[in-house]
Amino acid sequence: MRGSEREVLLARTFVDIVDTLVDDFDVVDLLTMVADRCVEVLEVSAAGLMLVSPEGDLRVVAYSSEAVHAVELFELQSEEGPSLDAVRTGAPVVNQHLESVNGRWPRFAARAIECDFRSVHALPMRLRGVTIGALSLFRTHEGAMEEGDVAAAQALADVATVAILHHRAASEAQLVNEQLNHALNSRIVIEQAKGVVAERTGLDMEQAFARLRHHARNHNQRLVDAAHAVIDGTLKPEAFDPPGSFRKP
Amino acid sequence: MRVLSLLSAGGETEPGTARLCDVCAEVADMSGAGIMLMSDDAPMGSVCTTNEVSNVIEELQYELGEGPCVDAHKEGRPVLEPDLADPATPRWLAFSPPALAAGTRAVFGFPLRVGAARLGAMNLYRDQPGKLSDDQHADALVMADVAAQSVLAMQANAPLDTVATELEAGANFHYVEHQASGMVATQLRIRVGEALVRLRAHAFSHDLGLNEVAEAVVARQLRFEAP
Repeated sequence: MRGSEREVLLARTFVDIVDTLVDDFDVVDLLTMVADRCVEVLEVSAAGLMLVSPEGDLRVVAYSSEAVHAVELFELQSEEGPSLDAVRTGAPVVNQHLESVNGRWPRFAARAIECDFRSVHALPMRLRGVTIGALSLFRTHEGAMEEGDVAAAQALADVATVAILHHRAASEAQLVNEQLNHALNSRIVIEQAKGVVAERTGLDMEQAFARLRHHARNHNQRLVDAAHAVIDGTLKPEAFDPPGSFRKP
Repeated sequence: MRVLSLLSAGGETEPGTARLCDVCAEVADMSGAGIMLMSDDAPMGSVCTTNEVSNVIEELQYELGEGPCVDAHKEGRPVLEPDLADPATPRWLAFSPPALAAGTRAVFGFPLRVGAARLGAMNLYRDQPGKLSDDQHADALVMADVAAQSVLAMQANAPLDTVATELEAGANFHYVEHQASGMVATQLRIRVGEALVRLRAHAFSHDLGLNEVAEAVVARQLRFEAP
C-alpha cells in the first residue's frame, strides 16, 4: 500500500475510533475494528486483541481471523506468548521470529507455525502506568516490521485504550449516580412512612422510625419495602410488632 | 491546581461538601454558591450552600420547581441570568421576585455531568448585576466538573441503598417535608404525592416557606382536617 493511502486510512481509523465514543459504545466492536484495520493498513496478516478482565486474567476480545483466535486462545492456555509478555512488562515485544524463539515460548511458537505464521509482535495497551491489554500482530513471513508500522500500531492500541478507559469511567459514573438517586428515593419513601406511622400512632419521628425498623427486621423485610407497604396501606402501623418483641425469621 | 490547593486548604484529608461550595464561589469570584441534586427533572435537595442567600436560591427552586439549576439540569447547558431585575428579560415568574428580595441580583446555573450521568446543577450568585467574564465562565465550568466528580467520589463508597454519610452531612434533602407529607396524607386520607401538593399550596397561600409549614405539621402545631 502506498504511504499516502495508508495515512488516509489510518486517519480515518482514528476518526472511526473516536466516533465510537459518541453513541452505543461496544468494546468488542471497537477492538474488532482495530484488528481489521491493522490488517488493512499495516503489513501484517492477522491481528488480535486481549484485555485484562475485571477478575484480573486476560481474555481474547477481538481477532481478524479464526487462525489468530485459535493461536491467542492457545497462548492463554499454555500461559506463554508475546501478548502475555507485553501485558506483564508493559513494553512492546517486536519482531519475534517464531522459528528462532523456541527457547522463549516453545509451545506457543510451534502452534503459531502450524497456522503458517512466521513472525509476531505484541504491543501493550497502556495508559498512565496501567496496562489493560495487548494488541498482537502476526505475519506469514519473517523480516523486521517497519518502524512506521510499529508506531502506527502502537498509536491504534493507544487510542483504543483511551476509548476503553473513558467508557469505563463514564459507566462507573452512571452507575454511582443511579445508586445515589435510588438511595435518595428510598430515603424519601422511608421519611414519608415515618410520617404515616407518627400520625397513626402519636409517636414522634424517632420512635416511629424505631417501630418501622423493628417491624422490618422481625419480618426479614428491607426497610424500604416495609415503608412502601405502610404508604400504600397494606401494612398498618397498628399491626406492627410491639416494641422489644422478637420473632424468629 | 489552584482548585486542588483551595480544596485541601481546610486541612482535612477528605474535603467536605461545605468546603466544596465555598471553593466554587471563591474560584469563580461570586457572592455564593450551591449544589443541587436532581432526579429525572425534579430537585431532590441541596448538597451544600455557602450562605443564607444561596440557601434561599436552592429552597425556592425546590419549592417552585423553576430556576437556574432546574433549567441548567434540564437543558444540559449553562443558564446565565446577569440581571434578575431586568424587566426586559423576565425569566422565572415565581422564582425571581423572592430571589431578588433575598439579595440575589445575578444568578448562574451550571449542569453537573460526568459522561452520560446527570447529577443536578451548581448555582452561583452575585449581589450585583453583571455578566460572567470569560475567565469566570471557564472557572465555573471547571468547578462544576470538580463538584460532580466529588459528589460521585463520595457516593462511590457508600453501602448500597444509602446516601453517603459525608454527602448527607450539611445537605438538605427535605426529609421533614416528606415526613409531613406522610402525616398529612394520613390526616386527609390522600396519597403522599398529593399531600406534598397540599403542603406547598398551604405554604404559598400563607406566604410561608414549605419547610416552615412542614416543621409545624411534624411538631403537631398544624393539622390538615378532612372536609
